[in-house]
Amino acid sequence: MSGTPHGHTDTPHAPVFTGNIRTRLDALFPSYPTRQACLLPALWMVQEERGWISEPAMAEVAEVLGLTPAYVKGVVTFYTMYHTHPVGRHFIQVCTTSPCNLCGAEAVLKALLRGTGCGELGATSADGRFTVTEVECLGACGFATPIMINDDFIEGVTPERVPGILQGYK
Amino acid sequence: MLSRHFGDAGARTFDGWVQRGGYAALRKALAMKPEAIIEEVKASGLRGRGGAGFPTGLKWSFMPRGDGKPHYLVCNADESEPGTFKDREIMRWTPHQLLEGCAIAAYAIGAERCYIYIRGEFTEPLRVMQAAVAEAYAQGALGASALGSGTRIDVVLHRGAGAYICGEETAMMNSIEGRRGNPRIKPPFPAQAGLFAMPTTINNVETLASVPHILNRGADWYKGLSLSNPKSTGTKLISVCGHVQRPGNYEVTMGTPMKELLFDMCGGMKPGRTLKAVIPGGSSVPIMTAAEADDCLLDYEGVVARGSMLGSAGMIVMDDSTDLVYQIWRLARFYAHESCAQCTQCREGTAWTTKILERILAGRGKASDIDLLLSLSESMTGKTICVLSDSCAAPIVSGIQKFRSEFDAYLSGARQPALAMA
Amino acid sequence: MTDRVSVTIDGAQVSVPKGTSIIEAAKQAGVLIPHYCYHPSLHSPAVCRMCLVEVEKAPKLMPACVTTVTEGQVVHVNSAPARQAREGVLEFLLANHPLDCPICDQAGECELQDYTFQEGRAAGRHDDYPKRYNPVEEFGPDVLYVPNRCILCTRCVRFMEDVAEDGVLNVSERGDRATIGIFPERELDHPWAGNVVDLCPVGSLISKDFLHKARAWDLDRTASVCPGCTQGCNITVDTRDNTVVRLRPRANLDVNRHFMCDEGRMDYRWMNRGDRIEAPLVLEGGRHHAVDWDTALERFGQATRGGSGAAVVLASGRASLESLGWIRRLLARYRVTAAVQVPMGNEAPLAGVPGLALRAERAPNAHGARVLGYDAPWASAVAAAGKAALVVLVDVTLTAAEAAGLAGAGSVVVLGTVEAEAWARAGLVLPVSTMAEEHGTWMNRDGRIQRFQQARAAPGMARPAWWVAVGALEVAGDMADRPATAAEAFAGLGAHWPVLAGLTYEDLGLSGRLATPPMAEAAR
Repeated sequence: MSGTPHGHTDTPHAPVFTGNIRTRLDALFPSYPTRQACLLPALWMVQEERGWISEPAMAEVAEVLGLTPAYVKGVVTFYTMYHTHPVGRHFIQVCTTSPCNLCGAEAVLKALLRGTGCGELGATSADGRFTVTEVECLGACGFATPIMINDDFIEGVTPERVPGILQGYK
Repeated sequence: MLSRHFGDAGARTFDGWVQRGGYAALRKALAMKPEAIIEEVKASGLRGRGGAGFPTGLKWSFMPRGDGKPHYLVCNADESEPGTFKDREIMRWTPHQLLEGCAIAAYAIGAERCYIYIRGEFTEPLRVMQAAVAEAYAQGALGASALGSGTRIDVVLHRGAGAYICGEETAMMNSIEGRRGNPRIKPPFPAQAGLFAMPTTINNVETLASVPHILNRGADWYKGLSLSNPKSTGTKLISVCGHVQRPGNYEVTMGTPMKELLFDMCGGMKPGRTLKAVIPGGSSVPIMTAAEADDCLLDYEGVVARGSMLGSAGMIVMDDSTDLVYQIWRLARFYAHESCAQCTQCREGTAWTTKILERILAGRGKASDIDLLLSLSESMTGKTICVLSDSCAAPIVSGIQKFRSEFDAYLSGARQPALAMA
Repeated sequence: MTDRVSVTIDGAQVSVPKGTSIIEAAKQAGVLIPHYCYHPSLHSPAVCRMCLVEVEKAPKLMPACVTTVTEGQVVHVNSAPARQAREGVLEFLLANHPLDCPICDQAGECELQDYTFQEGRAAGRHDDYPKRYNPVEEFGPDVLYVPNRCILCTRCVRFMEDVAEDGVLNVSERGDRATIGIFPERELDHPWAGNVVDLCPVGSLISKDFLHKARAWDLDRTASVCPGCTQGCNITVDTRDNTVVRLRPRANLDVNRHFMCDEGRMDYRWMNRGDRIEAPLVLEGGRHHAVDWDTALERFGQATRGGSGAAVVLASGRASLESLGWIRRLLARYRVTAAVQVPMGNEAPLAGVPGLALRAERAPNAHGARVLGYDAPWASAVAAAGKAALVVLVDVTLTAAEAAGLAGAGSVVVLGTVEAEAWARAGLVLPVSTMAEEHGTWMNRDGRIQRFQQARAAPGMARPAWWVAVGALEVAGDMADRPATAAEAFAGLGAHWPVLAGLTYEDLGLSGRLATPPMAEAAR
C-alpha cells in the first residue's frame, strides 16, 4: 500500500488581513465573545478579496483567530459557498431542488451550461468568465427558477431569458 | 398583518416603518416587565413558525431569571427548507418589522444581544437588513439604551455560507460560534446552555415578526385569529410554489381550508391539469394526496389530522404531470447533499436511498427495492441527533404508501427510464 | 438523599454514582453496550448511534453514552428495538466499507467485525452499487489513513484536539463525502499521536510499523509496563512466535488512562535482539569459557561469601525491584555504593491528561532503584568502581572510558544481556533475562509499584537477575527461605525494605499499587 503525500503551494501567499481588511476584521471582534466566532465572517472577507479560499489563506485565518489550519479547513469544506479553488469571474448557482425542479429548473440549468460554454457542472469556461453549479434550494421557490450570479440574486429565470442575462456579465 | 407591506418600498426605512405604526410595540414593551411580555405572548398562542410549532411564550419562559449570565436571542433567518420563501420577504420588505420583534423578544428573555443568522445566499435581504440595522442604531431604537429605556439591545447580523442544516437551532449555534454546522445533542437545551454555552432562545423570522402585532393589538386579538383549532392561532405566511397559477406568499388565518388557498387565492392548477399531490410543510413532511388536501385545514392540528404536518408551511404543489418518483429522488438527493455527516444512519442512509431511487428511475430497479427503501427509512427515523434523517425518509415512505403505482411503473418497465445511469 | 442511583439494565440492578452514563452503569451490570464513538477518555459526541438503548418511558431510543442514569430507570440493551437499531447502524456502516478483512490489519481485533458477527445482518443489501473510494493517505511518520474503511467516529480528531491539544486532524466535507483530513504541510507527528491507531475501532488508521506483520489471532498478549521512562504506562506486549511485534497501551486510569507515547510504543525491537549471551561465562586463561549455572553460581557465591570492603553496583534503570533488592542482599557484607543508570531525554506531556508525560528520566525503575538504595550519583559510582573490591554490573551499557575505569577493580561480575567491551575483564559473565522475559516489578515516579510479566522465553540459559543473586546467596549459605518464583522474590523484599513490607503480587494485581506511605518523588 502506498500513501499519498501532501502537496505544497508554489507561489508565496500574500496576507489578506492587512490594512483596511484587518481593520474590518478587528471591528468585528467586539460583536462576539470569542475570536473563533469570527471565522465565517473572516472567510467571507478572504473570498471577497481573493475570489476563493486557498490553503495558505486558511492558515492565515487560523493564525489571526488562534485556531489550527486543520480546524479552519474542516469548517471551510463544510460550507458549500466557500470556494476552495479558483472559479470563473462570474459564479453561477442554479437551484434544481424539487419546487424549482417542478417548474423547469433543469432546462434552465442546461441553457446556462450551453450559454456560458461551460458544458459541464463545476467547470470554468475557457475564457474564465463563468462557472455554473447546481445548488440546493435558494429560498425563492415561488419565483422559479432563481439563480445567483456572484452576489446577484435573479428570480424567474427561463431558458429564454438566459442569453440576455448572460450578456450583462462580461 | 405580516405581509401588509410586502411590495411597499417605503416600509423599508426606519421613518417609513414608524409612519406605518412601527416601533410603538417596542416602546410599549420596554415599559413592561419582561415576565408580562412573556405572559402576553403565551396567552396569544403564538407557535414557532420555523417548522416545529413550539409555543413561543413557553419557549421564552424556559430562560432562567437572575442567573447573571449573558443571554442570547438568535433569529433563525436561514430559510432553506425547500418550498419555503417567506422569511426573505419579511426581511426584504419589512426589515424593521423583524428588528422590532427581535428587540422585544431580546428584552423579554433578558438578552442584550441578538444574532440574526441569515443564509449566505440571501444577499439582498442581507443588504436590506444591514441598512435597517444601521438606521435603527442611528435612530436609537437599538444600542446601549433602546428607545431611551436604559436597556441595551444589540443586533448582530451573521451571514451563513451554504448549509441547510444550519437552520436546525443547535447547528445554527455551532455555526455562529465558528464551527462546522453540526447539530448538538440535547440535553443540554439552549435555554440552559446554548450559544457560547449561555442561555439562548432561537426563534424563526416569522415568529419574531409576529410579536410586535401581538403587543400592539393584544393577545386576545391574536388568539381570536383562529378558524378551526384554538391551539393554532394568528396568521401564517404560506409559501405556495410548484404547479399553481399564482405561486407566492399568502398570509392566511390559522384554520383556513387548504382548498381555498390553492384554488381561490392561488388560482388553482394550470389549464388542463389536476392536483396530484401536495407537500404542505416544506419538503420534510409526508406527501399528501389530492384527496387528503381536499378537506385539509391549514393549522398545526388540521394538517396532522390529514397525515402530514404544517411545518414551515412551504407548500409544494404537484399536478398530474409530475413524475413523483423523480421528485422524491430529487428530494433524497437534497438531503444527501445537506447531511452534516455526524450520524451513521443519516450520512449513509440519505446517500443510499438516493442511489436506490436513481436506479429505479433508470429502469434498473428491483422488486425488492421498495421493501429495502421502507426498511432503510425505518432505520433512519427516530434514531439520530436531529431530524434531517427522518425528513429524508418522510417523502420516501409517504410516496411509496400513497403513490405505489408510480414506483411499480418504473419497476415493471411500463414507464420509460427518466435517468441514464453510468 | 444519597449520591447514588439505582437502575436496572437488562434485568440486572446496579447502584451507581449520580451522573453516571448508562453505558458506564451497564459495564457494572455486566452488560457491554456496543459502541464506536464513545470512549472513556474522550468527550462523547453520540454520533455513531450504535449505543442506542431502550429506556422504559422514554419516547425514543436513547444514546447510552450521553444519557445519565435516573433513579429507577429500566434499560433494555438487548430488546428487539435496540437490536434492530444496532443492526441498522451496522448495515449502514458496511454499505461503503470495503471487504478488506483479508488484507486489513485490524481483522481479529476489529469492532466492526465483532459486532457484525454478533448482531449484524447475515447478508448485505448494498449489492452492485459501487462503493465510495478514496486513496490511502500518509498522515505521519507512522500513521496511515485508509478513508474507505473509516466509520467517521471522530475519535482521532477528538483525541488530537482535546487530549493531545494539537488540532491537526479535522472532518472534511459533508454527508457521505466526509472523511478525516489533515492539513497539508502538517503531519501527525505529535509525541502521542500513535494513540489514534489504538482508538480507531476499525482498520482505518493503521500503523506502518505494524503493517502486515502479524494477524491478531496469532498474537499472544501479555500485560506489562512500558520500559521507556519513569511514568510507567501500563502496556500490553504482543508477541508472535516468541517475537515481540507490538506494544500497545493498557488502560490504567491512575497512570496513563488509555494512552502511551510514541517513543515507548516504538521501542521494542531491542527485546528481540538475537545477539544475546546465552550461557554463563567464566574468565580463564584470558578467555571466557561457557559453564553451567551450578558452576557459575558456585563461583559467584564463593566470591561474595567472604567479601568485605567496597563493592560497587551499577544497575540498569530497567532492572526489577526483585533483582536490585536481592543483589543488595547478596552484597550485604560489603560497603556498597550503588547507582542506577538513567538515560535522559526531553519531556513530552500529554496536555489533556494531567500527570501524564513521556518523562525526562528514560528508565522505568529509576525511582524504585533509588528507594532500594541505588542512589549514588552515576559518575562517582563509576569512579568508585575503579577502586572497589567487587564491581557488579547489572545490564548496563558503559562508555569506553567507563569500561576502562574498571581496570582497577578487584573483581568484576557482569549480569548482562548483550556482550560489551566492559566485560573483557569480567571474571564472571552471567546471562540475564530482560523485562520481556521475566516477571518483576518496578516503582514509577509516583511511587506506584507495578508488575510486568514475561512475554517471551528468555534465550539460552538466561535467568532473571534476582534468581542469580538468590542462587549465589544459597551457595554462600545465607538462605533460610529460598524464593523460587518472582512472586516469592518480591514478597521477600519486605523484610529489608519497609516500603514493600507485607506486599504481594496479589496486592499489586495488574494495575499496581501506590507504596504506603506515598513515595512520589519531588519533580525531577
